[in-house]
Amino acid sequence: MDNLAVSMQGITKIFNGVKANDNVDFNLRKGSIHGLLGENGAGKTTLMNILYGLYQQEAGDIYINGSKEEISSPIKAISLGIGMVHQHFMLARPMTVVENVMLGKKSRRGILLDTKETAAELKELADKYKMNIDPYSKIWQLSVGEQQRVEILTAIYQGADILILDEPTAVLTPQEAEVLFDMLRHMKADGKSIILITHKLEEIISIVDEVTVLRDGELIGSKLVDEHTTKEELTKMMVGRDVLFNFDKNKKAPGAVKVELKGLSASNDKGLPALTDFNLTVHEGEILGLAGVDGNGQKELCEVLTGLRKADGGQFLFKGKEVINQPPVFYINSGISHIPEDRMSTGLALNWSLKKNLIIKKFHKAPFLKYGLLNQKAIDAYWDKCQKEYQIKAISGEEHARALSGGNQQKVILARELDDHPEMVIANQPTRGLDIGASEYVRQKILDARNEGAAVLLVSADLEEILQLSDRIAVIYDGKIMGILPAGADTNTIGMLMMGHKQEEEA
Amino acid sequence: MNSKIINSIKQFVIAVLTIILALAVGAILVWISGNDPAEAYTTLFRGALGSKARISEVLVKMIPLTLMALGMSIAYKAQLWNIGANGQLTIGAILAILPGIYLGLPTVILLPLSLILSIVGGALWCGLAAWLKNRFNANEVITTLMLNYIATYFLAFLVYGPMMDPDGGGFPQSKVLPEAYHLPLFSAQMRIHGGIVVAIIVIIMMFFFWRTKLGVKIDLIGQGDKIATYAGVNVKKTVMVAMLISGALCGLAGWNEVYGVQYRLLEGLSSGYGDIATIIALLGGLNPLGIVIASFFFSALLVGGATMQRMTEVPYSVVDIIQGLVIVFVIARTAIHFGWPQKLLRKEKKDA
Repeated sequence: MDNLAVSMQGITKIFNGVKANDNVDFNLRKGSIHGLLGENGAGKTTLMNILYGLYQQEAGDIYINGSKEEISSPIKAISLGIGMVHQHFMLARPMTVVENVMLGKKSRRGILLDTKETAAELKELADKYKMNIDPYSKIWQLSVGEQQRVEILTAIYQGADILILDEPTAVLTPQEAEVLFDMLRHMKADGKSIILITHKLEEIISIVDEVTVLRDGELIGSKLVDEHTTKEELTKMMVGRDVLFNFDKNKKAPGAVKVELKGLSASNDKGLPALTDFNLTVHEGEILGLAGVDGNGQKELCEVLTGLRKADGGQFLFKGKEVINQPPVFYINSGISHIPEDRMSTGLALNWSLKKNLIIKKFHKAPFLKYGLLNQKAIDAYWDKCQKEYQIKAISGEEHARALSGGNQQKVILARELDDHPEMVIANQPTRGLDIGASEYVRQKILDARNEGAAVLLVSADLEEILQLSDRIAVIYDGKIMGILPAGADTNTIGMLMMGHKQEEEA
Repeated sequence: MNSKIINSIKQFVIAVLTIILALAVGAILVWISGNDPAEAYTTLFRGALGSKARISEVLVKMIPLTLMALGMSIAYKAQLWNIGANGQLTIGAILAILPGIYLGLPTVILLPLSLILSIVGGALWCGLAAWLKNRFNANEVITTLMLNYIATYFLAFLVYGPMMDPDGGGFPQSKVLPEAYHLPLFSAQMRIHGGIVVAIIVIIMMFFFWRTKLGVKIDLIGQGDKIATYAGVNVKKTVMVAMLISGALCGLAGWNEVYGVQYRLLEGLSSGYGDIATIIALLGGLNPLGIVIASFFFSALLVGGATMQRMTEVPYSVVDIIQGLVIVFVIARTAIHFGWPQKLLRKEKKDA
């Protein structure tokens, strides 16, 4: 017991009659990095939110450094030396780093702020862990990776010895993730205990000392991670069955050019250039993977290709015809499917039934419209067909889209976008936030669409996904194509291009 | 299907609870004012439904309230907060009465013509707000509200000025419409008139509306601009159409008031029906059947409340208070329905 920073025993948490955690034990050794692994919905975040005082458990006990504690609120957790960095950063963007750290902290100078003092302390702490953060820079000026470091810094500054990180690498490039891991190793050496919530197996193997696996709210097991630990074994624990990591790509020779972009330019929401002189071709029966760090023009590109955003200039040839700047309905009717990045606000009407979400793009066509009215029978039948074919887990088609898990929501979108044998599929971050099982399924469906002859533009910040699926890989940086590589290109090369280093410069 | 029915029942139960709660609080106020709540409510109930004539009065009120609430529901479904029903009714009424007073057309031509004019008037008045929204991103809550004032004072200008009845003894009202133009009454003793046929037709159309292509589009833009645009819906155009229809139904209510009830223009013609229609639309859950039921309740409350004031010591303001309470509870319920539990759900889901 003495060497345990955290010991949670028999934790049970129930939401609306569903056990999010069912009698879960979790032990974190002092000075170790502990991976908490599981699919979405496995109860990882719930367990950690209990530890951080955001939820109270229905049953079970928590021991911090050997003594039993009631963690009734995050304030209590912080006072016990527990810090948590959430997946979505909780930072005030217009304020500086030091101001963010000072939020919710008592000033040592009474009614005056102790900004200078705090900044100096922060700087010292940041240097100690090689974080390279200027306390006076504004949050909005920082990259995502830097913002994350600010979050970690804040937690440590508040005195955290036990640090919980919720999917910290979801928003990072491979290089940024390496920096983060280095930092974590430093902290570990410094005696801090770290919990890493993740569903990425590489991370577990590369940095974690011990892993605890949850599935459906239950503890599957804990084990030490060493050089003998394999991905396959972890996956089996996590998913409960074997998962195919290598898709049978069944590669065919790509067909004719379906989409050709020449000198495309577009602006982002702020009116700044998002795409400049962008050139790309996608062939029939080909998956073109577009790799890149989020926010380098991917979103704008997808929007221009589907009419959701006006291009400022350039050409968009679809099957040889110029189709730039048409209304969205034109692209829908041309057979261009779009799996949008943002499921929640763009891809689904969350307060609509699943049935209606399936026909959101074709309610005005037969058989869904009959005598000018929605044809409920046809809609019901279509739902039944899609639910079977796409294995959508839902109580009924009348359920609101909001009620579904991310994976099932994505299946509804896939059913809608892929069922009509599209000419082209634009998939933007199709597996973001999905667990392994669902991701595998989505990827298989995208391959199927390709095999049926669709030209697929796969936009993803997940390199593994790009490498698994793509027939060719293009890398986007700052609204330009940095290079086009063949399938199976080296991760490092892609990573360098993602950071904006052109191949020529390297050579 | 099952969950749909359960949902409707749930909505109905919640609406009834809302009303009961409002009445209960109203009862306490009646009791505090030193009166007997039981007696007050009995009088109110009798005053509303005690005889055929009373029921006829309720129906007379129901016609404009239902038409306007249905109009509101179309805008609200699209998340367009049209609160300009009063103004749209007023403009509809003004346009509708012009040919009746000045042109001397045969009845068979005049009635359809005036009906169309009322629809056009209401639609344009609301469409103006839609245009401002589309063109300048002007908030429709502000614009429709402001257009209310313009309409109200324009009406006042007309009935105090160019359209004032020269033989009216200086009352702010226009000339009376010739009797031939009055909508037919079903009985000489009662005020219920032919306008109810128009209202019933509109209600029936509304039962189908949400299953038409246009209805689905309007519903979809209410789910968010992003998803609607993504699905290929022209959001600006649909905003305009939804607001035009919304205003048209309010204008139609104006036609009904002029040709079926007042037979002339007078100051304050809308009697604040628009505000009540807004509550009705929300209490009815934007659903045509719910709106008809809620509209019946409010009409009964208005008619019965007037009787209650006449027959007991209880002031009419209690009726206003009950109305106000219903608004508060409806808003609370809307918040509960659309806001908090959903947020909680989301939270829980995130952790899962």
